[in-house]
Parts: sequence; structure tokens; C-alpha cells
Amino acid sequence: MTTSGSLYGAAAVVGIGTTPYRKRGTAPASALRLTLEAVLAACADAGLDPRSLDGFVSYANDSNEGIAVGSALGVHEIRWSTMVWGGGGGGVAAAVNAAAAAVACGQAEHVVVYRGITEVDDGRGSYGRGHFPPLLHSHGLLTPAQICALRTQRLLEVDGVPRSALEALVRADYAHAQNNPAAVAYGRPLDPAVYADARWISEPLRLYDCSRENDAAAAVVVTSARRARELVERPAFILSGVQGATRGWSESAENETSYTSAGFHPELVRRLWDGAGVKAGEVDVVQVYENFSGPAVAALIDLGLCPPGPEAGRFMTVENLTAPHGRLPINTAGGNIAEGFVHGIGLVLEAVRQIRGTSVNQVPGADLSLLLGGPMAPLVSATLLGSQRTLAGR
Amino acid sequence: MGADIAPGVPADLPPVVERHGQVVAAGDQRATLADFRPDRIGQLVASAALPDRMSGSEVLSIAPGDGGLMTAHIRYSGVDGERIVLRSRWIRLPQGWRVSDVRNVPDTPPVLAPVELGGPDEPYWAAAREGELRIQRCGGCGEWIWAPRPICPACHGFDLEWPVVAPEGRIFSWTRTWQPFAPEVRGHLPYVVVLVELPAAGGRRVLGVLRDADGADLRIGLPVRGEFDPPASPAAVPLLRWRIS
Ligand SMILES: [Zn+2]
Repeated sequence: MTTSGSLYGAAAVVGIGTTPYRKRGTAPASALRLTLEAVLAACADAGLDPRSLDGFVSYANDSNEGIAVGSALGVHEIRWSTMVWGGGGGGVAAAVNAAAAAVACGQAEHVVVYRGITEVDDGRGSYGRGHFPPLLHSHGLLTPAQICALRTQRLLEVDGVPRSALEALVRADYAHAQNNPAAVAYGRPLDPAVYADARWISEPLRLYDCSRENDAAAAVVVTSARRARELVERPAFILSGVQGATRGWSESAENETSYTSAGFHPELVRRLWDGAGVKAGEVDVVQVYENFSGPAVAALIDLGLCPPGPEAGRFMTVENLTAPHGRLPINTAGGNIAEGFVHGIGLVLEAVRQIRGTSVNQVPGADLSLLLGGPMAPLVSATLLGSQRTLAGR
Repeated sequence: MGADIAPGVPADLPPVVERHGQVVAAGDQRATLADFRPDRIGQLVASAALPDRMSGSEVLSIAPGDGGLMTAHIRYSGVDGERIVLRSRWIRLPQGWRVSDVRNVPDTPPVLAPVELGGPDEPYWAAAREGELRIQRCGGCGEWIWAPRPICPACHGFDLEWPVVAPEGRIFSWTRTWQPFAPEVRGHLPYVVVLVELPAAGGRRVLGVLRDADGADLRIGLPVRGEFDPPASPAAVPLLRWRIS
């Protein structure tokens, strides 16, 4: 399947770093400072001098430009800088892919992918900025929560996905967070009765169906496969990466063609699997972006990881979704909902930990670790990470 | 004049509701918050709108409602003569009766100032001021285009028309919003946004706030008919309101 021009195995994540997840509005420092702390941590993790970073990538309109981060670190040279367009966390995996593309074709050697927010610097709901024109805003549609509520309502009512599928996803997040001391929900298990009786945010979404932004930053360092093997013992190789918005998907004031899809359209999904030469059923663990529970379920359906319609309820059970022995463990650090929410960057770190074997909810022998960014956002993306073993024999 | 207490209302509730009205009208915030369900104080506080300065309260009615909750209507009087009615629904918790949700009655739509007009949707708003629903269509190939764009995505023509379209269709999806996402929605929560599929515009879908949505049993596929509410203020835009037909 490897072809010239393919990303397959050309790049790897070698360093991960994060600040603590704090309640929004409570960070003791600016978003830039938090970002710098996360970048330094990621470089330390990789055993890399931060001054040798030469590429900077972010998404979701991060307010700290790569040149600001790079110059603050006194890097020798900035050779690559990219901002992925599109609101929300749809660009999170696309940012990793952009970094991989840069190192794969020699445009840069050590690229950092980062995202940092504080409520003081970025306000609330910075994921949606610029995506609520008067046609939405004037009619009372003010937030991604409401857009995802409209789409989730149809997912439930017309497609027949049962509510229990949403609940299972949220409860798996919370269950995983109980083993993660860094998670905001650590020590606060979710009682099913509390989930079911929580206040409505926008029907059919209740409080625990929704992620809530934290003040925090996180970063990962991507480098070439050759350099990765020099730096670390267990690089997380990028096997395949896609981003996309199919015809009629984006900026359509709720006229998206496949309305209950998460946006991972069939051609994109095929490119993802073909790029790595694997099938959906072979994936060991998934970090699926849950801005809200409904879109995350829709993403798993789009990818062929979960059956559509009423059958989704049979597959989406807490048991199936929980490490170590579930059929498809998801969000093993707690995810956006229970670990912390900085527009999905935390999911990247956890996808890497699973390949390294260092997750607090490790899936035994995980070789294929999937990252899904920003379901139902104007642009969505995915990255499939693999261990050294997955590259063997190619 | 006494409150209208329906059969089935537990005897210990009316004094609690009576006192709640009094502490709210007196502006006693601590006592008011103590009456709210502890897991949703912030949402409840920012949901209802009251007169700035109040002279009194009157419990109008208490009756059993949906889901085992008790429904109370309380009228608050402002010092300037304004009268506002809030409907609160009460739940019995181990620590006593608490407000589980609250809203202003009757239900009215939120009025949000437009963030920026002058984009490709400008003709929509101009027509709305005349009470007409107009949807963009390509003059070259006939493609219905929504959201409006500066070009036809099908044929790349720039000859774009805005025909009048019958405001009739079916609910494609809906959401009832309870969270006070902006200060302007206070006093209008919860409200229902419907996405309506328009057969007269090639199945394109438009948004709007549903009329008489309070307590409505909503279903995707219900037929609806729309009309424009005139702008609530000079800075506001006309609102497309839908009604189940
Ligand atoms: Zn055309």
C-alpha cells in the first residue's frame, strides 16, 4: 500500500507534554506561557533541545502564532508554520498530519503541534469564533452545543441510535478518568442516575454530554522516522492521516448533506484505512473527540467502528468501551469530557501513550491507535498511529 | 385573593412557594438561591428575568405537573407597575422542596442583535423586513443555494437570484435550549430552535424560533408554517417564527 508521496511511517511523535488542566478562568499564567511550558515538557520528554524545534503547527485559531512561540524559545530557525482552518477541534488530527507532512518531505525536522487556552486570553467558546453568522445567531443558535444538539436529535429520532449509546460513551470517559490523577474528573465517578437527571443544556444534550473548556496547554513533537529512532525507544509512527469536508458539508447553515454524519465522509474514511493498509476492525484503541456525546458516537459510526442506527446501542456499552479488555476502548485518559478540554490536544497525547504502553488505562499490546478530531465541526480529521511492530515487514 | 391550589398538591408546598415569592421580591439573594436545586443554581439564576426593583409577589397557582414536579405561577410586581409572571417547577429533595426549573410566561423569543450584516445573506434580511422569505437560487443553473454565497457552487455563475419562497415545510430537527448562553436570552429560556426543510426551495433548510413551543410535544417531520416577527428594536433583525400547522 505504501506509495511514493504517502505519509505511511515517514514521521512519528517523539515527545508529549502538558500543563495541568485547570478550571477555566483560574490559570496563574497566560495562554502563551502555558503553551511554552507544554512545549518544553514535550521536548524534555523527547530528549530534544527546544532550540532545535523548527516547525510550529496549531489549529482552532490558536491565538499564539508559531512565530511567537518559536521566537520566545529562541529557536535556531523557523522553517515551517501552519494553522489549520476550521472551527473547533476538527483540525486537531489535521495539525498532526501537517507536522508529519512537513517532516516527511524535509521541510522541517522537529515540528511541535500545540494548543493552549485560558479564559482570560481567549474568552469562552473560542472554538466557535467566527462560525456563528447572523442566520444562526439571530435565531438563537449561539454555540456549538446547540448545533450538535440539533444534529444529535435527528441521530436519535430518525436514525434510531439509542440514548444509551451516548451515555455509555460518557460513562467510559468517566471510568477511565478514575485511574488518571491528572483528569479533572479524577475521584469524581459519574453516577448513572446523576447523568440521567442532570440539567438540560440544549435537548437532547444534558450537562454530562458536554465538554467544558479548561485553562491548559499541551503539545507533541513530530519528527522524521529516522530521527525518531535516534531520539526515543518507542516512537508513535504516523501511519495515515486525513482531513476533510465533503461537498456541501461546511458553512451551510445546517444544510449539510449527510446531516447526522460526524463529517467523516466515505472517501475520507477509505483514504484513512487504505493509507495505512488496515481495516476498521484492526484498531486497538480510539481517542474520539467528544465536544458532545452525540457527535462522538456519530464519528465512530462514520468510521465503521460502531454499527449505525439501533444496533449502535448493542455495541456502545460501558464494558465494550473500557480498557483494558473492552472490544474498543475509547478515550482512555478520560477524554475531553472527563480528563480536560483544550480542543482535543489531550487526545493526541493519549493516543501516543497507548503506542508507548504508558497509559493509565493501557490496552495490552496496543499497536494501532486512532485519533479522531472534531466530529460535526466544519472540518474534521483523523490520524492513525502505529507502533514499530506495525511497520515491520513493509 | 388566594392562590389557586389544585388537588394533589402536598400541603407543605404552598407555604414554601409563598415564602419563595416574598424573598425573591425582597431581593434576598441568599434566601432565593437556597430554594434552587443545588446542581443548577447558575442556570436558574440566569434564566428568568424580573423587574429591576420589586414591590411584591403573588402566588397565582400551584398544580401537579409533568414528571412528578409541582408547577407554581408567581406574579412579581415592579415598583414602576411592571408585572412579570414566572413559572417554577418544584421537586421534593431530601432537604426539602427546591426549584428544578423556572421560566418567564408567556414564552417569547430571544432578541439578539446581529453581529454583522452586509454579507451574502443581506437580501434575506431585507426581504424579511417586508415579511417575505427569500432563498438564494442560481439564475444560470437553477441550483438552490443555502447558506447564501457569492457564487453558485454548482456552475460558478455569479448571476444569483432571490425568489420568494412559501414559508412552509416540515421540522427536520429541533432543540430546546435551556442554558443561558448569552445575557440576551435571559427571560426567554427555554426556547426551541427548529430547522425546517422547505419543499419550495429544493429541500433547503432554514432556521427559526418555534412559536408556542412551551410544553409542545415536538417531533421531526411535523408540518410547520412560518412568518416574520417585526424587529423588536431598531438594532434587531426580523425573526422567522414557525408554528406547528
Ligand atoms: Zn449555478
